[in-house]
Amino acid sequence: MKKKCVAMLLAGGQGSRLGVLTEKIAKPAVPYGGKYRIIDFPLSNCSNSGIDTVGILTQYKPLELNDYVGSGKPWDLDRIEGGVHILPPYQGQKGGDWYKGTANAIYQNLEFIERYDPELVLILSGDHIYKMDYSEMIKAHEESGAACTIAVFEVPIDEASRFGIMNTNPDGSVYEFEEKPKNPKSQLASMGIYVFSRDKLKKYLTEDDNNPDSSNDFGKNVIPLMLSRGEKLMTYRFGGYWKDVGTVDSLWDANLDLLNPNINFDLSDKSWRIYSRGKAMPPQYISDTAKVENSLITDGCSVAGKVDFSILFENVTVEEGASVEYSLVMPGSVIKSGAKVRYSIISENTVIGENATIGEDPTEVKPGEFGIAVVGGNLKIGKGARVTAAKTVSKDMEGGEVL
Amino acid sequence: MRTQAVAGIVFANSHDENLEPLTRVRSMASVPIGGRFRLIDFALSSFVNAGITNVGILVKSNYRSLMDHIENGVSWDLDRKIGGIRILPPFNEKGMRRYEGYIEALYGAIDFIKRCNSDNVVLYDGCVVGNFDLTSAIAFHNEKQADVTVLYKMIENYRNDIGAMTFSYNLEGRITDAAFPKVFKGRAATSFGVMIFKRDVLLPLLKNAYEMGLKHIEKDVIAENLSSLKVYAFEHKGFAAVMDSEDAYCKANMALLMREVREDLFTKERPVYTKIRDDMPTRYGLSSKIGNSFVADGCVIEGTVKNSILFRGVKISKGAVVENCILMQGVTVGENANVSYVVSDKNAKIGKGIRINGKENKYIFIEKDKIM
Repeated sequence: MKKKCVAMLLAGGQGSRLGVLTEKIAKPAVPYGGKYRIIDFPLSNCSNSGIDTVGILTQYKPLELNDYVGSGKPWDLDRIEGGVHILPPYQGQKGGDWYKGTANAIYQNLEFIERYDPELVLILSGDHIYKMDYSEMIKAHEESGAACTIAVFEVPIDEASRFGIMNTNPDGSVYEFEEKPKNPKSQLASMGIYVFSRDKLKKYLTEDDNNPDSSNDFGKNVIPLMLSRGEKLMTYRFGGYWKDVGTVDSLWDANLDLLNPNINFDLSDKSWRIYSRGKAMPPQYISDTAKVENSLITDGCSVAGKVDFSILFENVTVEEGASVEYSLVMPGSVIKSGAKVRYSIISENTVIGENATIGEDPTEVKPGEFGIAVVGGNLKIGKGARVTAAKTVSKDMEGGEVL
Repeated sequence: MRTQAVAGIVFANSHDENLEPLTRVRSMASVPIGGRFRLIDFALSSFVNAGITNVGILVKSNYRSLMDHIENGVSWDLDRKIGGIRILPPFNEKGMRRYEGYIEALYGAIDFIKRCNSDNVVLYDGCVVGNFDLTSAIAFHNEKQADVTVLYKMIENYRNDIGAMTFSYNLEGRITDAAFPKVFKGRAATSFGVMIFKRDVLLPLLKNAYEMGLKHIEKDVIAENLSSLKVYAFEHKGFAAVMDSEDAYCKANMALLMREVREDLFTKERPVYTKIRDDMPTRYGLSSKIGNSFVADGCVIEGTVKNSILFRGVKISKGAVVENCILMQGVTVGENANVSYVVSDKNAKIGKGIRINGKENKYIFIEKDKIM
């Protein structure tokens, strides 16, 4: 069946900068905001934008992600024609290969795209938290007649050197792309969201694939190649909330943004819902000994201690006398009585033993030594153990151990 | 096609009249309970957790909200090709009026019972809350080669106009005599309306009872045939509550504030499934104070909440005080309002500074969508 637009979601990355958080799962499956996963955002955006055919390109540790996406039902993407398709690397008659880069991943799945004979292909990544109406971007793409439209977000100039920067003409067309420039000429960062006219996409992906020196990456190779051939590339400015969650600090930041009344990112907005695969769980129980302020708490939690400026994901237990401040506690973890968790991310199903201390307050550490402490999933942290600022715990800790 | 050993039937309009403030707009089985559930969630979850995936829902009136909730059964994994969930609306043969009694209702489902081809049928009253281990009950029923097995709970000091079936049983567990007292002191084995019937026994009994114009299955069929039928009793040791009065409804909700009740109802082995809504987690504001409360997702709490059950999407504004309340989905409580011992139906709005204070033995009920 013909579709106007097919979305391709790049979900194969390891997200190595997230360390223990992506030890067992792909980055798009990383939990966010109490009951979501990063991939809920592009999938919900697709569904809300009227795009019902989505290929999800997986490679690194896909098991949990595959389970999570399933038939696509939670995002209304279980369709008779179209719907979600998990696309892992595969073997063909002439052999096969891992996905060598973002562009190569799409190139290897041109057959999938062509089944729907689309006019447009929307390329997405599973690294960002944002709500965006892709249909507006598609409209802009069609109106401009560009070969490719790239969504851009204005970043502060002092941060611009961390991003892929689009240098544009006054009409918004791109004349140059610079990956992480030392001296940025523009503040327009690529969001990794592209709308391609299908024929152009096919043409340039094929050409890129024939170049043995290419690293087969959209930003590094395909976009510069198209510019060099004189194709019209347009930017599409996005003005809403957008956050890259590729590092521990940015993941922590993006979560705590949900508690900041000055940041306009409302997940309860019914006109643009973010869907997730919810589980059967009882409501949360907050006991008489609890003290809960300025926090998000999810179904299945049980709280008897103090929770302040924090997010508790589903089924988290905070015992009496324990405290959680400025932290994320991911599904199923337990904070035992007397334990203190500050400026930390506790991954799934981990037990923080009695009177253990995880993380430190920025005012208590020397300048330059502060950072979010991270405790990996399925670990046991012994009684009275201590984890200082910016440390990562990837194995069990004995009682009283210090890291 | 594999035949399912057991089929389930839920009576959705069971004792609607006993919970009138909440059943005016819905059937008993879709009455909201426990923060994010409807009564029928407990029935359907008990079924599917025992592998019963061929389920009929007997409905009579006001069942739109029930149908909205059930959809195609997907939330309980009951969207099946083989079996699955089926709404059984009143079926009128020529000259038949809309049914009144339990027997008439069940007779309307006789085709479902005939066709299900199962050895046993579980009949389940839609007004009961509990997480029942039907796997063990069915094993017991089969082991005893019983015609009927009635689940029961030991109840003390009962008082209710419904007059539940109480009974005595012998060492084998076989029921020897039954009574239907409206009041009793002390302890008695009391049915809460969940029973397993051998299908081949149920069908002729049902036909006969219907033709004789009998009304009640427990009183007119089971109790009358204790010598000819092998009726056994299976004890449910965990929590169970029958919504036979407003007071019982409030008590059952408040029981969820007790740890042992929550641990009994919500187990990993037998989860209670319900329809998923895409709410965000509950947000507690800077000035929130909360204690001893059971809160579903999607709430925004900026005031004080004590000893209460909050359903999804409830909003408590700054300075508001909510104590001993049951507030259903989408209820909002305005700034500095003060409410206690209130049961508020969905989407009611309690305005700024309003005071509504009921009493422990007399909760005030607020209608759905009411603006106060």
